[in-house]
Amino acid sequence: MSQVEQLSATSAAGVLLDLSGVLILLAAFACLGSKLLNRYVAYYGAQSVVLSFAAAVAAVTFHSVELWILAGLTLALKGIGIPLATRRLLVQRLELKRDVAMSTGLSTALIAGGALTAFAYLVTRPQLLPHGLVANAVVPLSTAVILLGGLAMVVRRHTVAQLIGWLIVENGVFLGAITLVATFPFIVEAGIFLDIVAGVLIMLAFVSGITRQLAEASSTELRELRG
Amino acid sequence: MVPVVVQVLQSLVVLLLSPLYVSVLARAEAIVGSKRGPSVLQPYRDLAKLLRKGSAVSDQASWVFRGAPFVAFACYLTVSAIVPVITNDPLPLACLADLIGGAFVLALAGFVTSLAGLDTASPEGGLGASRASWIGSMAEPALILVFFTVGVVSASDNPYLMNHAIAHSPYALVLPTHVLGLVAFFMIVLVENGRIPIDNPAGSIEISMIEEGRVLEYSGRGYALMKLFLLSTILMSVFVIPWGLGTSNDLMSALVAIPVLAGKLALAGAAIVVLDTSFAKLRFFRIAEFLGAAFLLALVGVATSYVIGA
Repeated sequence: MSQVEQLSATSAAGVLLDLSGVLILLAAFACLGSKLLNRYVAYYGAQSVVLSFAAAVAAVTFHSVELWILAGLTLALKGIGIPLATRRLLVQRLELKRDVAMSTGLSTALIAGGALTAFAYLVTRPQLLPHGLVANAVVPLSTAVILLGGLAMVVRRHTVAQLIGWLIVENGVFLGAITLVATFPFIVEAGIFLDIVAGVLIMLAFVSGITRQLAEASSTELRELRG
Repeated sequence: MVPVVVQVLQSLVVLLLSPLYVSVLARAEAIVGSKRGPSVLQPYRDLAKLLRKGSAVSDQASWVFRGAPFVAFACYLTVSAIVPVITNDPLPLACLADLIGGAFVLALAGFVTSLAGLDTASPEGGLGASRASWIGSMAEPALILVFFTVGVVSASDNPYLMNHAIAHSPYALVLPTHVLGLVAFFMIVLVENGRIPIDNPAGSIEISMIEEGRVLEYSGRGYALMKLFLLSTILMSVFVIPWGLGTSNDLMSALVAIPVLAGKLALAGAAIVVLDTSFAKLRFFRIAEFLGAAFLLALVGVATSYVIGA
């Protein structure tokens, strides 16, 4: 019973951040394990919505207006904008519903994801964490999300799916950043955020152009374009 | 005297409510799919009819086939006695087994059901037994790991004590360990009850049936017992929602807990209906991936507990 008492001593914000971290990890796993492209995008959207909630919690905890702005931006752009744009581009215009093109099997990808998560826990031992952190579990969780996003980029063949893998990496970085370094200069964080989002949107437009010409966006086929 | 009454009442509640719950789920799914669906009382009528009928037993069947329904039903009664359904005050029989013991008892029920399926040497029974064992060999490790995640949070492996620990500390409920364990447990509940990503509960199609295949040879009273056993497992899963249980050992609080139980069942049922109507059935050999994911989530849950120190 002493463990339970110790748990209730944690702050409410820490518990909420830990919980959002877990949900974000679950969404990353769901992305990794879903074969249909529209579901993959929907899980990414759900992950971003949870992330914006986490940012709002951090904003309340650290009394920071900038984090509120970032939470709003995350919700609007990553939670709603990118999933909608991708859906419109892929599912409606290109009539692409499936992405079965994976370079490994689904179970291999999931097992690799589990191994990466275990690795994230191994490298972020509780003893090594700085004292006075709001949410301890977020550190390994965000590391795991970064690794899982990287894994999604590796195992997916479709270029748009790889782009969203990159966005999952970015979500992991953002989650770690709002918990660990709340004093991070706002302008840097927002700059990086907008850079990545703008980059992804440009690449989405670019890929859609290529796809219309080649009717194919698998990275194995795109290699043919080399000069 | 009162604890004994509550103990009996708990088993009766599980026994009487489980057919209703399954039929309400089926009705809700039919309504979501713009159909009318059978009456919610249909399982009771089926059971009453089966109990009146005589049973036909193959002359190739041994005592294993005849005894299996009683063993399976007894296992199910045992589990309904050791899991907190209407009160979280330890009941007289709570000392029988902890959660892992309960899992063993349910595994015994599954084992005798598989034996009975093999006993008559009918092809469907063997098929069902083979499939159920294959799934069980992957579901059980995941289930044990889920118990570890809850055990880590509550520092106990007795379902009543776990319940106390979690109901008294709202933080424990949203801990990463507990959330991961809960999601994994929900996936295992879907597997054990043959809900949609695994099996279609709406009908038994020969080519894809798992649980139904093992009991296909039964008729009459034996089938009624087996059926009740299959129906019950889903209801008892709801004990993971810790609130609303009677806290003291008197009859009144146990009685009040019954309508609360209905509310909790509705909550869990809503999630199941949404899943059932929005996903397609998995190909049989992809169930391994589904269960692998459940195992993985529980494992990550246990790993998390080391980081957050609880």
